[in-house]
Amino acid sequence: MDKKPKTIALCGKGGVGKTSVSALMVKNLAQRKDLRVLAIDADPAVGLCTALGIQIKKTVDDIRNDLINSIKKGEGQDKTATLKMLDYELFDALTESNNLALLAIGRPESEGCFCKVNSLLKDIIHDLAKNFDVVLIDGEAGVEQINRRVMKTVDHLIIISDTSAKGVNVANTIKHLAQDNKAVDYKSMGMILNRVRNDREVDDIRKNAPLNILGWLPEDDLIREFDFQGRSFINFPDEATACHTVKQIILDLQI
Amino acid sequence: MELFTDTFADIKKYIQGKDCRFLVAAEQKNLWPSGRGRNVVLSDEMGVELGNPRMNSVSCLIWTQKNDLVHDGKVSLIGPDIRESSGKSLPFGKVVLVQVSGFDEETTYDKYKEMESVRYSLDLKGYMIRAVSQYQREWSRISKEAVKNRFSFEILASALRKEYLKKDYIHAVEFLFVTSSAEDVGELQDVTKNVGRAISALNKMLSEIDPDCDECEYNDVCDEVDELKKMKKNRDEKRMNANG
Repeated sequence: MDKKPKTIALCGKGGVGKTSVSALMVKNLAQRKDLRVLAIDADPAVGLCTALGIQIKKTVDDIRNDLINSIKKGEGQDKTATLKMLDYELFDALTESNNLALLAIGRPESEGCFCKVNSLLKDIIHDLAKNFDVVLIDGEAGVEQINRRVMKTVDHLIIISDTSAKGVNVANTIKHLAQDNKAVDYKSMGMILNRVRNDREVDDIRKNAPLNILGWLPEDDLIREFDFQGRSFINFPDEATACHTVKQIILDLQI
Repeated sequence: MELFTDTFADIKKYIQGKDCRFLVAAEQKNLWPSGRGRNVVLSDEMGVELGNPRMNSVSCLIWTQKNDLVHDGKVSLIGPDIRESSGKSLPFGKVVLVQVSGFDEETTYDKYKEMESVRYSLDLKGYMIRAVSQYQREWSRISKEAVKNRFSFEILASALRKEYLKKDYIHAVEFLFVTSSAEDVGELQDVTKNVGRAISALNKMLSEIDPDCDECEYNDVCDEVDELKKMKKNRDEKRMNANG
C-alpha cells in the first residue's frame, strides 16, 4: 500500500449546516482528480446523498439487517465467508461518480444488540477505505456513533457549529466526549463556524470556545437556496466565499 | 471423496457444445505487477467489468481425486477475452477444476475453504475481485490501464494457477471462463447449481450432531451424490449401533 487515507469526520448539532459543509468539502476534494474520495453518509437521514445529488441503491444498514435476518433464520456461516459476502454487498452499495464513491450508513432497524455484525461491517469499511486517498464522514450530532458504526480512528475530527450559544455548547460537549471520554480516536480536532455574520461573532466565540477554529463560512443565501431546493452542492459556484474557505481549510489540513 | 462426478461430465459436455477457444495458463505468464494492496477499481478507471451484480454471473470450484479429469493449465474461453472487450460490462461465468489428493470426510470441507480463499489472495495491478461463494457469484473489474497493457484471461488464470499449486494437495488446475452472453452464463448456472448445495450438505452433515434428514433442505442432494449418500448411510449405521 502506498499511503494511508486521510480521514475526516464532521459532526455537530442538528440544523447547524453540517451536511452543507460536508458536501462543499466533498465537492472540493472530488475536483482534485489526483484523489480518490470516499464520502460516508453516517447520518441516518442520509442528507449528504441528497446534498450531493446522488441517489443511493442501498445502505450499510440494509446489508446489516439482511445479515441479521439470515442469522435469525439459522443461515449462519463461517466468519471468512461472511466477511467476503459483506465486502461484496458493501461494494455493491457504493454509488460511484468519477473519482468519488459514496456510502450511506442508513438507519438501523433491527432491535437488539448485534455488536458482532457491527464489528464485521466496521472491519470491511476500514478495508475499503484503504483504497482511497481521502475518506470524509458526515456524522450525526454525537461522535460515539462514528466509532460504533463507521470507524474507530479518524485523522481530523471537525465539529461544525453556527454562532448560536446552543450550537457552541454542543460543540464543547462533543469536544469533551471525544477528548475526555475517548468516544472516538482522532489526531487533530477543530471547529468550523457556519452562518457567520461578521468577524466580531468569530472573535466572541474564539474567546469562549476552547476549540481551534479552522475557518468560518458566512451566512449565505445561495447555500440556503441550494439546501432548500435540494440542489446538488457539486454544482455550487467555485467562486463563492464558502468554496474558497473550504478549499483553504482542506489545504490547512494538509490534504 | 468425489462429490462432483456428474458436474465434471456436464461441464465437459457444456464446453463441447459451445464455440470455445483454448488458452494456456503457465508459469512464464506470471509477470503482471502487484497492485500493492489497492484492490478497488472505481467505475471511472474501469476498462472491463465482469459479472456486475445486475448481470448474470456464476462462479464455482470443483475438485476430483481422479487423474484424468483435469488438464493442468488448460483455459477454455467461451466469448471475448478481456482485451477484446474494452469499455464493456459483460456477464461472467467461471469454473475452476482442480485435481487433488488426500480428501476424506474429515478434511474435505476445510480444504474446500482454503481453496475458496485462493482467489482473494491475488494481487494484480488493475484487477479487482468481489465474490460470494454462497451466491456462486463473482464480480470483477479490470482497469483501463490493465486492459491497455493487455491483461487477459491467460494472465489471470496463470496467476490463479500459481496460487492454487502452492497448496500441497492440489496437483492440476483447469479453468473455464464464459463471457459470451447472459444465456450461456445462465446455462452454466444450471450445470453448476448443485455445487454449492453439495458443499453445504457436506458441511451440515459434518457440523450437526443429529441432523433431521426429512426436514433438511439438502436432502435431495444427499440422495443424488454417491459420496454424500455413503456418508449418510455410515452415520445412520453408527447411530443405530450406538442405540443398540
